[in-house]
Amino acid sequence: MSGDSLADDLTRRTQNAPPELLSRTFFFVCAALSIATTIGLIVLLTTEAAKFFTFSAQLVGVEGETATLVEFLTGTVWQPTSGQFGVLALVTATLMVMIGSSVIALPLGVGTAIYLSEYASPRVRSILKPGLEILAGIPTVVYGFFAIIYITPMLQPFVPGLGTFNMLSACIVVGIMIIPMVASISEDAMSAVPEELRQAGYGMGATKFEVSTDIVVPSALSGIFSSFILALSRAIGETMAVTIAAGSTAQFLNPFNPATYTERALPMTAAMIKLIGGDVTGGGIAYRSVFAIGITLFVITLAMNVISDYVAQRYREEY
Amino acid sequence: MATNNEIEGFGRVSRTAGTLFRYLLLAATLFGLVFVTILLVYVANDAIQPLTADPGWHLTFFLTLVLPTLAVGVYANRCGIEALRTGVFTIGFVVVALMFSGGAAMIFVDIVEPLTWLAFLVALAVPTAVTMAVVSYDHRISFVTQFVVTVAAFYLSLFGVPGPLGSLAGVSTVVPSLFGFVAGLPFAPPPWLMMAGTFGPPVAYVGSRYVAADRDRRTHVLVGAGVLAVVLAGGALAPFAGVDPVPGVVVAAVGLAPPLVYAAGTAVNRPTERVGLLVPATVVVGSLVGAVAADVAGFAGPQSWVDWTFLTNSHSSTAAEAGFYPAIGGSILLMLTVAVLAFPVGIGAAVYLEEYAPNNRFTRIIDVNISNLAGVPSVVYGLLGLGLFVTYLDQPPGTVLLGGATLGLLILPIVIISAREAIRAVPEETRAASYGMGATKWQTVKNVVLPRSFSGILTGTILALGRAIGETAPLIMIGAPNVKYSLPAGLSEAASAMPLQVYAWSSLYAGDDFYQKAVPAGVVVLVAILLAMNSIAIVLRNKYQSTE
Repeated sequence: MSGDSLADDLTRRTQNAPPELLSRTFFFVCAALSIATTIGLIVLLTTEAAKFFTFSAQLVGVEGETATLVEFLTGTVWQPTSGQFGVLALVTATLMVMIGSSVIALPLGVGTAIYLSEYASPRVRSILKPGLEILAGIPTVVYGFFAIIYITPMLQPFVPGLGTFNMLSACIVVGIMIIPMVASISEDAMSAVPEELRQAGYGMGATKFEVSTDIVVPSALSGIFSSFILALSRAIGETMAVTIAAGSTAQFLNPFNPATYTERALPMTAAMIKLIGGDVTGGGIAYRSVFAIGITLFVITLAMNVISDYVAQRYREEY
Repeated sequence: MATNNEIEGFGRVSRTAGTLFRYLLLAATLFGLVFVTILLVYVANDAIQPLTADPGWHLTFFLTLVLPTLAVGVYANRCGIEALRTGVFTIGFVVVALMFSGGAAMIFVDIVEPLTWLAFLVALAVPTAVTMAVVSYDHRISFVTQFVVTVAAFYLSLFGVPGPLGSLAGVSTVVPSLFGFVAGLPFAPPPWLMMAGTFGPPVAYVGSRYVAADRDRRTHVLVGAGVLAVVLAGGALAPFAGVDPVPGVVVAAVGLAPPLVYAAGTAVNRPTERVGLLVPATVVVGSLVGAVAADVAGFAGPQSWVDWTFLTNSHSSTAAEAGFYPAIGGSILLMLTVAVLAFPVGIGAAVYLEEYAPNNRFTRIIDVNISNLAGVPSVVYGLLGLGLFVTYLDQPPGTVLLGGATLGLLILPIVIISAREAIRAVPEETRAASYGMGATKWQTVKNVVLPRSFSGILTGTILALGRAIGETAPLIMIGAPNVKYSLPAGLSEAASAMPLQVYAWSSLYAGDDFYQKAVPAGVVVLVAILLAMNSIAIVLRNKYQSTE
């Protein structure tokens, strides 16, 4: 938005010349398309999901089988074939991916960020940063394949009762996948901490370790939290790795019990893939349930993005 | 920063905790990288199976390829790290260029007829030339006239008279379009000459500009003729190597000529780095000599699953015969569609937000909206594609156009965000200077902002494109077929894609056989292409950052 007054003054007289008008209109239409996408997304998800619920199906004029909102939100059995749509079975699996991957990604990501911003020499950083970007560039379907072919067999000797499809491997690959996200956003926040604060720390006799942990990290805390929330939102939306690695048995598990991670489960994204990829006929209740899950997923990730943005804005240290 | 321990007189500070912390952090940084590297080595081992080769084969290549390359590398390093860097870069360039020439050749073998290609190029080139001629004939022509002339020239050339507007009213064609005229010519040169004619001159022009930038006319002509000769030789010599001439021309123009031009440019313009060119030369010669020697001696190579059959076969229910060809072709077509649909819009939106947008509420809404769109899971974009295009617009599911549109919407926010960063990096002074010269806003954007942010935009868009190729979930949601036995013949036909094929092999055909053969081979090809794209982006960015 460099539309400063200088440019405005200089271009005012030509503003409505045909080439100016044409180019400006084109650029505006491009920008407006993003709004159109959002509106399309929201309208589509709401209208399609509305056909799924009993209370709203009449409003959009849909006959046939529907599910009640209460059953959808509080049920713990997900069996579209027999008409049981308890989304909690899927939500707990998604929660497990979120918790499991954050155990890996958050400490490693913050560690990486501290190392890159405080310790690494410019040369080392110029090698490590592209390396981390490549981690994020590997397709998620490949990560899913890694999980079932290499990681699960590697873990099986150590973890009793680990099946081919399990949440543990899925969590590990999703965790590794989101490390670069945590690391890069946290590093940006840490690099933004002014040099004077560090120098003041050294002046007080602090060691580099103390400066890093007691000055830089607390000062960058809002950025670090915001990176956490964004990474978790990414873990929630992650699809292919969990579809391949976690199996496709929907069950209601306790995400806070480590023993359940050896089980197979069906996160929300994987359930959507399973429903569409399977032989769901268009227009049926199972088909419409995909949109109900979709809007749930959309609302959750949207909320997390907004919260992350808010945290970064609200608690930003003003230097 | 490292002044903390250098001041004496403060007593001793324990460094144990600090050192421990430092190494813990390093371990954390390396963990993901090492972990994924190990997995990639595993999968490469499964796919290529280097240990199945004869020991003699390994010995031959060690003697002809590895040892000489190491020796030359050490020598080049002695002469200067820059020379070695140029050498290594050239190797990477050769590999990436050959990879992309393979993809380009595939398009002209199976999707686009050379005659159609020629007709299309002519139909675009002629109106472009007409427009440019009109403008240079009289500079004071008004913009509106220019615009009308341009639109009319392109319309006539592509559609003829009266064209689609007339056929709506039921009028038959009076004058055929240039496109139809060329495509319908009863005589046509052999396909490979058409390809050489369309690829050769532009490559030769760019090559001579690069090598002989500020030299005399003779050098320009010489270099251009050399490049043209390489392209023609590709078509003429291909039959002797058992390849059709058309892919021969494409590989020579896209895969051989650019690295040769780069090497020639280095040799001519940067004498200190000349010696680095020995490294790629050794690698190329060493591999050829090694291949011939191993063949003569009868040493069998590794029983790699990634081989010619894998790259050119279509899917099969037996893992050992399953191929990747339709998936690669589908991915290439999707990539082109995504690029055509998403990049102009994404860059346009970025220009609007950075250069034109007033700082008001609407702009802030767009701003927030784009960052939120970037966070929406890809599977939800798949739902958008399914609902919007399949259900409401009633398109057939799984076509190239549909996949391209869905993936294009998916990467649009990423393109916008990265293009905005590149545009923001253009210094304000250059804009002010442009205005100072009396330029209008559009002239400033066109002549100052976009050229200066071009490499940054390119970097971001390549990374975004890499993301689009790797996506699977949206394609499944819009009903792209898991298994295709041939390349799609057009944009409105269903297409598979590389990640989708890998997913199909690792889920629908799940079994030890597929896990050990087809899937690793597919993963190796997919990851190799993505790493190539990412490395192009990273090289571009490093170059861009060091010149700014």
